[in-house]
Amino acid sequence: MMAWVKAISYNGEDVFDESADDFNLLSKEWASNMKKRVRDGYVDGVDAGEEATLQLGFNQGHREGAAQTAAVGRLRGIVSAICCWCQIQHPESPVPVCVTSLLQQVTQHEDRIMAGIRDALENPPPSVSVVSESMEDLEVEQADSKCCGGGGGCKDTGCCKEGEKIDLGAPLPQKKPFSGSTDCSSSSSESLDLLMQRCIDVVLELGLPQELISCIQEL
Amino acid sequence: MEKMSGGSVGEDLFDSIVMADERFRGKGYREGFERGSHRGLLEGRRHGASHGAKLSSEISFYYGFAVTWKCLLQHNTDVKSKKRLKALDTLLGLIQDCPQSDPQSVKLQEDMDRLRAKFRQVCSMINVPADFKDFVKTSEGTSF
Repeated sequence: MMAWVKAISYNGEDVFDESADDFNLLSKEWASNMKKRVRDGYVDGVDAGEEATLQLGFNQGHREGAAQTAAVGRLRGIVSAICCWCQIQHPESPVPVCVTSLLQQVTQHEDRIMAGIRDALENPPPSVSVVSESMEDLEVEQADSKCCGGGGGCKDTGCCKEGEKIDLGAPLPQKKPFSGSTDCSSSSSESLDLLMQRCIDVVLELGLPQELISCIQEL
Repeated sequence: MEKMSGGSVGEDLFDSIVMADERFRGKGYREGFERGSHRGLLEGRRHGASHGAKLSSEISFYYGFAVTWKCLLQHNTDVKSKKRLKALDTLLGLIQDCPQSDPQSVKLQEDMDRLRAKFRQVCSMINVPADFKDFVKTSEGTSF
């Protein structure tokens, strides 16, 4: 504490008689202590900021995640019901291959979507995981710097600069873990359309009620 | 705390140190807060997406299943079919009322429990084979 007082006072009123070497030493100590203050504040700020937005982000992600599996989940329900219907109507014969293979494909399609979301959860983009990357940017100005001093001196570009803007509008980064494989090269919405069409074909083939077709089309 | 000999000069110095302390801490705090806000948003979003996808997958499955059975049974007039249709309508009603778009809803867990129970009841009413559980992937066990 005393050392800072000396460092500061040398700057202003010349109360203490210190040599230049001592002053440099004290000035450095002052800077390192203030740097520590900035770090302490930064750490607390990160925690508080995170706490303030976590729920907001969760709610937004919740809607986005729900939207991704709603259609395919319904389709899986429809095909599963058809599968059960076949088993109950014709217990003596196996469920037609067109039904079982369709159910398998719909399930796989949904698994891929879930795997993509899980992957994004377990392997966050580097900008999220590297916590302290901007710690290096937090340079503390020397004690005699005008920036941030005495109010009003804050026009400097580097000082009090705005960080990254919070962006609520951008879509979640979508990972496509199977992009290289043979039959999954089409985008997920395209293949869902394909699966829906195949389901309609199954409904027609088995002579199931027409209303089912409009249910599928509404997905 | 060391004693200051200089009276008001010492107090001024002390004040300016405290102020500097607070100022630098505040500067760090503001930058940290901005960073933390950004992180919280992304972090929350990833977890929310995972949870929302699982929940939606389960509820949507029930919906597709119930709607299909309703179509398949709709023209049957026997008592058994009517009972089944009634149960299916109840299930569809529960799905409709489920506050799945609001993860903060206090009744979400309760509604999901009722939904799952109703679904199991419907399955037993329409004699869905025991191995049916292989088709059902629930998000049970996920914490709300």
